[in-house]
Amino acid sequence: MPTIELNKITKTFGNHVAVDSLSLAVPQGSVYGFIGPNGSGKTTTLRMIMNILYPDSGEIHVFGEPLRPSSCDRIGYMPEERGLYKRMKVREVLEFFGGLKNGDGIGEKVDRWLERLQLAEWADKKVETLSKGMSQKVQFIVAVVAQPELVILDEPFTGLDPVNTESMKDAILELQAGGTTVIFSTHDMSMAERMCDFIFMIFKGRKVLDGTLASIQDQYAADTIRVRTRDGAAALRDLQGVERMNDYGQAQELRLAPDGDPHAILQAILERTRVQSFEIMKPSLHDIFIRIAGSEAKEVEHA
Amino acid sequence: MRKVLRFAAREYIAAVKTKGFIIGLVLAPLMMGGSLIAFMLLKDRVDTTDKYIAVIDRSGVIAPALIEAAEHRNAKEIFEEGTGKKIRPAYFFERVEPNKDDPKAQHLALSDRVRKGELYAFLDIGPRVVHPEEDREAFRISYYAKNAAMDDVRNWISWPVNNELRRLRLADAGIKESDVRDLFSWISVDGMGLLSVDESTGNIEDARKANPIEALVIPIVIMMLMLLMIMMSVPGMLQSVMEEKTQRIAEVLLGSIKPFEFMTGKLLSGIAVSLTSSAVYIVGAVIAVKYMGYEEYVPFDVLPWFVVYMLLAIVMFGAISAALGATCSEAKDAQSLSFPLILPAIFPMFIYFPVVKEPLSSFATWTSLIPPFTPLLMVLRLCTPGSVPTWQPYVGLVGVLLCTLFFVWAGGRIFRVAILMQGTPPKLANIVRWAIRG
Repeated sequence: MPTIELNKITKTFGNHVAVDSLSLAVPQGSVYGFIGPNGSGKTTTLRMIMNILYPDSGEIHVFGEPLRPSSCDRIGYMPEERGLYKRMKVREVLEFFGGLKNGDGIGEKVDRWLERLQLAEWADKKVETLSKGMSQKVQFIVAVVAQPELVILDEPFTGLDPVNTESMKDAILELQAGGTTVIFSTHDMSMAERMCDFIFMIFKGRKVLDGTLASIQDQYAADTIRVRTRDGAAALRDLQGVERMNDYGQAQELRLAPDGDPHAILQAILERTRVQSFEIMKPSLHDIFIRIAGSEAKEVEHA
Repeated sequence: MRKVLRFAAREYIAAVKTKGFIIGLVLAPLMMGGSLIAFMLLKDRVDTTDKYIAVIDRSGVIAPALIEAAEHRNAKEIFEEGTGKKIRPAYFFERVEPNKDDPKAQHLALSDRVRKGELYAFLDIGPRVVHPEEDREAFRISYYAKNAAMDDVRNWISWPVNNELRRLRLADAGIKESDVRDLFSWISVDGMGLLSVDESTGNIEDARKANPIEALVIPIVIMMLMLLMIMMSVPGMLQSVMEEKTQRIAEVLLGSIKPFEFMTGKLLSGIAVSLTSSAVYIVGAVIAVKYMGYEEYVPFDVLPWFVVYMLLAIVMFGAISAALGATCSEAKDAQSLSFPLILPAIFPMFIYFPVVKEPLSSFATWTSLIPPFTPLLMVLRLCTPGSVPTWQPYVGLVGVLLCTLFFVWAGGRIFRVAILMQGTPPKLANIVRWAIRG
């Protein structure tokens, strides 16, 4: 039984169709990544699952039942825009929000999570004294402290340094190991590739990708070459059979044209420079994202 | 309901822990009580500097009597008996011959003397004051001073001048004043309440003498108290919802509670805040009136109506306040909405006087049955000594209940749509559309 089942849900704001006949099934105990350019409908979808917005049409089932307000007691939610009562102490704010969901033994749960995310010494400090990273961790604890069966995190890694990102990632995987279903939206494609059992991409309100990373990549041919050379991108310009080059500085990714031949391309590169590595591969999630979202995703790419 | 109460408890604690609430709770009665105490202490403190007044007596018959009356007053009335301490100023009148050729120049010269402080005022008595005829200028008595409108000297002058005029008129008519002394015995009409029967003993209870404190001061104070309770909680709801929206706390809350529970929690905390402050004020007021000996004038039977109407008013205005708070995306929006929000609450203050003067008039009755004005105006009317028909507070209550339900319903719809909406200004057309379409 899927934890979440969306059946042709549609949501419009005025004349703008934010989510268009979207269907999705999130298996229990999975980590499901939502990706898509800004304004594509990710947050609207998550808000509909949280019963904050109501779909104009379609059905939402959560835990095998039609979505109802009480369902949200079993769901933890971390919205994209973070918000905490700044004048309350960290422990007070966590006990308050945890108590709204499930107040049983909330004090102990709060202590455990504060310890787990290295915030114990800040428990009696006011929220306004916390750094941005610490506030984000507190916001994460708000979502998970009541031990929900489903956790929805809207861009949980935005603004975190690598240390806090790792600690947040470990916490999410620990939740999954405990049987919790986790949905998170992200613009960090590598994080989605590494963490998610399933990836769902929404673009202009419609589902464009849904499945495991392998199944998504299988939809695309092995049309990408990752290459490292002595002279970098300068030596790779205007190669016959290459449709597009992505320059990552230390390495470059070349997308083959439909009639492109990797052997001919390797030979052409060898004539220009010394090759340090050459790998034929399927496109990365990042590359797939760019192919689908095109120019509209560039702001995300450079963010 | 558990969530609503938990949320309301947080809101209540957050509200009563603020310095603003604590200071307001202490300061408001101190300011009100303080001004009363200051009035009581200062009302007998008068300026005892002697006053010099010039008199232009064109009749030629009034000035001597005025000077004589002032001398009598200076000898008998300005010193405290026993201590001999001067408690009032002496009045000295200086007779000035009228300048018939250029009266304006004479008035200007005397005005300059007043400005310089040589004189306190000057008086011009018309030539025909004893027997006034058609020419009004001929029997005018004019008093010129820096602040002639509020002037004890002017008030005092009226008595000796009119006493002398009466004496002169009687003399001209050939009547001795001692023969008709009763003619001038003015008897005022005492205002009395109505008699009633004590239901427990069956005895007829005497009517009480009507008292301005009972008829005017107590109803206004009680109405002001209710307004204060409303103002202590309602605008705060707008502010706190706006803060929760702009600080992005609202969406976190909406992950746990429904928008209607969110708004209900706000309203319950507003009620709790008002009950806290009203408990403090009512207990304080009861102690104060007992201490001052005015308890017989306080209509304690109105207290249940006061509490019921106050709670409904807070819910009625609070629902709209919370809904408007949800429409604000920045503090500037909240500032511009604050006044329209409180206007219906404070409107009864603009019309309280005709209502308290004639609480049974059609105007008072109908305005007090308009739901947004009912809580304040009905309680005001119930506090007056006149008997408001028994059905009226109940009809008013039904109107307020219906209006409150409508406001909560509309407020809930506006709140649900607006709370997550960013960048849409709170225009009236948008607010009405959200209320209608939900």
